[in-house]
Amino acid sequence: MGIEMSGLTVQLLDIAAGALLLTAVLVVWRRELSVILRVFALQGVALAGLVAVLASAQRSVELGLVALGLLVLRGVVLPLLVRRSLAGAGPVRRETTPMLNVAASLLAAAALTLLALAVSVPLVALDPSPATRAVPVAVAVVLIGLMVMVTRRHAVSQVVGFLLMDNGITAVAFLTTAGIGLLVEAGIALDVLLVAGVLHVLTGRIRETFGDTDLSALRELHD
Amino acid sequence: MNPVEFGLAAAVAVGLAGTVAALLVPRPARPGVTGACVAVAGALGLTAGIAAVTGVTWSVHLPAVLPLAGVDLAVDGLSGVFLAVAGAVAVAAGIYGIGYARHGLDGRAVQAAFPMFVLSLLLVPAAGGVGTFGLCWELMALSSLILVLAEHRRRPAVASAGLWYAVMTHLGFVAILVGLLVAAGPADGGSFAAIRAAAPGLPPAVAGLAFMACLVGFGSKAGIVPLHAWLPRAHPEAPSHVSALMSAAMVNLGVYGVVRVGIDLLGGGPRWWWLLTLAVGAVSAVYGILQAVVAGDLKRLLGHSTTENMGLVLVGVGACGLFTVDGEAVLAALALTAALLHVIGHAAFKTLLFLSAGSVLHATGTRDLDALGGLRARMPATTAAFGLGALAASALPPGTAFVSEWLLLQSLVHGLPAAGVVASIVLPLGVAAVALTAGLAVATFVKAFGVGFLARPRGSGAAGARESPPTMLAGMALAAAACVGLAIAPMLVLPALAQVAGTLTRTGPPVSGAVTIELDGVAGAMSPVLLAAALVAGCVVVVVLVRVSAARPARRETRLWDCGGGPLTERMQYTATSFAEPLQRVFDNVLQPVQDIEVTHHRESQYLVEAVAYRRRVPDRIERRLYEPVLAAVAAWGRAGRRLATGSVHLYLGFGFAVLCGAFVMLVVTR
Repeated sequence: MGIEMSGLTVQLLDIAAGALLLTAVLVVWRRELSVILRVFALQGVALAGLVAVLASAQRSVELGLVALGLLVLRGVVLPLLVRRSLAGAGPVRRETTPMLNVAASLLAAAALTLLALAVSVPLVALDPSPATRAVPVAVAVVLIGLMVMVTRRHAVSQVVGFLLMDNGITAVAFLTTAGIGLLVEAGIALDVLLVAGVLHVLTGRIRETFGDTDLSALRELHD
Repeated sequence: MNPVEFGLAAAVAVGLAGTVAALLVPRPARPGVTGACVAVAGALGLTAGIAAVTGVTWSVHLPAVLPLAGVDLAVDGLSGVFLAVAGAVAVAAGIYGIGYARHGLDGRAVQAAFPMFVLSLLLVPAAGGVGTFGLCWELMALSSLILVLAEHRRRPAVASAGLWYAVMTHLGFVAILVGLLVAAGPADGGSFAAIRAAAPGLPPAVAGLAFMACLVGFGSKAGIVPLHAWLPRAHPEAPSHVSALMSAAMVNLGVYGVVRVGIDLLGGGPRWWWLLTLAVGAVSAVYGILQAVVAGDLKRLLGHSTTENMGLVLVGVGACGLFTVDGEAVLAALALTAALLHVIGHAAFKTLLFLSAGSVLHATGTRDLDALGGLRARMPATTAAFGLGALAASALPPGTAFVSEWLLLQSLVHGLPAAGVVASIVLPLGVAAVALTAGLAVATFVKAFGVGFLARPRGSGAAGARESPPTMLAGMALAAAACVGLAIAPMLVLPALAQVAGTLTRTGPPVSGAVTIELDGVAGAMSPVLLAAALVAGCVVVVVLVRVSAARPARRETRLWDCGGGPLTERMQYTATSFAEPLQRVFDNVLQPVQDIEVTHHRESQYLVEAVAYRRRVPDRIERRLYEPVLAAVAAWGRAGRRLATGSVHLYLGFGFAVLCGAFVMLVVTR
């Protein structure tokens, strides 16, 4: 990235990245859906903070605007949207029986973080800087998001898993490049918003049709 | 303005206008508008083609039209031949389609695909680069697929035919793309001119791979055995004017591809390329006509006959390549001239035959020859048209196919003295295959015409048949005029074709003459006009002599002798099955028909027979041996794959997760 950062900036960046990973792990740990959503909103804030730190390091107004947009979208709009679909999703407010129990999930998250660290070594080696050193954390968030999608039964936690993954991908994008342009980011944000909207409608429909949002009950999708 | 440029540009404009009009115009006027647009576009394509054949060339590069590659168009004499053929067939099919489409074929998608198909047929031979060629080829495949599927609501067989066609045409396209890209690899860009310039530097193995891939791909489009399986399925199930376009214009482009890539772009090649081409051509010709002779479905019979004729054309192309390798440029040009003339002749008579078969189907509702008959009195114009087409298709004078097959035989026979060891074995076999094909073709078309149109009706559909509307008859009349013209006066087109073939084989035109076809460089001459005149004169003399000499006994009205077994019924006539039975017996080992005779005895006595049921099927052996194992393997693979798809969302997501993590672990471990 080639941008000199002061010690304080580096520390702030590390805190933001740490918060990103911590919130991801918290999503895996907690089973109460409303708590998960709150944690997810926190992660959005952490992501926005990460981009804001990068913006201040690069003295880029454009990136600052992107950070603001991220804060609104990921810290407020998306959590609200998911919360609304949770309100309509029926009486079950807990991820009662995940495919993988919580202890095993946490171990798996730890293993995935290790894997992310190992696999990102060449990426970091390309251009060692404080920002790229945080890339493994973002990759870990992507992997944990995917794991959440695979192991959770409730439709809302699946949506959260998807959005977690997207947060991770966004973080990787900002950490590895020198900013990806306002227009591109706006496009991606719009996409994610659209996906969240579709999933919101879909959850409602699933509940209307089957009276439940447990996806493992849907077994007729093949052929 | 260059006439080729004008013709092509105007054809594209009119064709696109036809497509748009088909989408906008209300249903009653739709067939008329699209039919007229197709006919006009075809006529413009025909003029462009004729201009190109007479020596006008045109090429253009439009970088802005298509991203990355741009559009390359290049029209030379060879393109012109196929451009003109496609245009001419489109004129007849377009006019015919106006009347034909009134019966449930006036839907928006079908009518819009029709001009698009014709447009792609005109653009494929005009393409001058790999990208443009692939685009037009794919457009042709897709628009023809829509047209093949036009009647899918009426018959379930249409869907299956469409599936076969879609799969085989796309696999063929993959092969063509591989071949062209391999050839274009070392070239500077994807235009044909660049490939032609770079071809001498290709290593022999690479050139061989390119040619083989192209032969497979183009061969499957031309319906060459063993890649013919789609043809006898798709041709009968498509609407008849579409069958005519497919059989008379589209399959030609397979031959065009082989000539363009093998002879023009790659500049000839080793002997084995052309021996292979000649061999598959000869096998296709014999196998196609054998299947046709036992076919009971009128349009299926015509489809098999297409395989036969494309086989004959490939024999000519293969002979041309072989002679080029041996340095016999004049013979090579002669063989290529024969092949090109056969393409044109086949287009003319196959258009006529398919259009009149469509007229029969339209009037009787059936394609089964065993249920037809007695159409001569009810549909005189259609009967005359089919009779003319049948005569043109059988290689007898004064038929259309006779001239081209004579030229082909001349080139094969004259090649013998100069031939090496391999060629001196292959060429006589080729002559034998052409001769056998010609004989069987006569039997096939005698059967189709005699059983289908003459005698008394064998079914209720045929008994209530009515003549088709004038637009359909007009389309047939155009095709008939082309057949007669090509049969009587082939010298109208032959010098231009000879010029094209001579240019491709880097020598002069091998044929000259005005009334008589005189071969240059080898001994041989023949005059179709004089031959026809002599035949007519001979017939007249025989009729007159018989009339004069035969003593005419007094006329008596009496009942026909029926051996005392009660009045003769329609069921006692020859059927298509019984007519082909002796031939089927002769070729029993090749065809391996499945027969089933069931005798029901009378209840009272074992010695009295109540009914005899006879069932016969001639399954395609090549299909059974070659395709069924492949299809079974694919199906087994699909069943195995289905076990992975249990319907669980989590499992599907888990697959992705596991693969991603696996890939990461591999990265970490192997680095």
